[in-house]
Amino acid sequence: MAARVLQQCVRSLARPSLRLSSANLAVRAAAAPAATIHRPLSFAVDSRRTRWLGQSRVPSVGVLCRQYGDLPPLTLESIKDRVMYVLKLYDKINPEKLATSSHFMKDLGLDSLDQVEIIMAMEDEFGFEIPDAEAEKLMSPEEIVQYIADKKDVYE
Amino acid sequence: PSSKLVVACQFLQRQKILGIYRNMLRTIRQVPDEADKKYLRDWARDEFKRNKGATDQDVIRMMVTQANNHLEELQKTLALARS
Repeated sequence: MAARVLQQCVRSLARPSLRLSSANLAVRAAAAPAATIHRPLSFAVDSRRTRWLGQSRVPSVGVLCRQYGDLPPLTLESIKDRVMYVLKLYDKINPEKLATSSHFMKDLGLDSLDQVEIIMAMEDEFGFEIPDAEAEKLMSPEEIVQYIADKKDVYE
Repeated sequence: PSSKLVVACQFLQRQKILGIYRNMLRTIRQVPDEADKKYLRDWARDEFKRNKGATDQDVIRMMVTQANNHLEELQKTLALARS
């Protein structure tokens, strides 16, 4: 059967004008001005598939890079910038003294209540809750950045 | 009681109070009105800061109870407002 189809294809390639009206789709595709037999055949299959899936296939290319209107993906750098931005806005921190490594209590002179407020501000900024046990340990901007990066699966 | 025990108790009490403060701020965060939210936040903050130097155990215990009462009241009011 396959051999006959092939034969037909070869024949129709030789006389394209005669076979053009034949009912067989594959044969007609083969009659297209392409050099080999296999290419027109696969072309026919391909074009049929694109016709069927055309509606979903074309947009699916865009899905890979679509952002769903969400925020741009987090990076260590952007987390750090946002953490530092929130800290600079906090009224009890002197922005000039602030560094990523500064300890909230030892270097910035804050107390434990301020630290609670800072963590709450971070929760507001990044939109997730930090459990109490973890929150108590976060004592410097870099620790907060590291913690958020771990939680949000952000790696270098 | 040994001094180590006292330090441990103080540490636990501190954690507990910080927990109340955190809870309070979390609850206040649910207040829908922005002005009310700010007012409550400032109130809680002032109240905690004003008494952070307290050393008398009885006074501290009383304030913890008071804070818990406030918290409960606030949560009840919020639940009522939502329903």
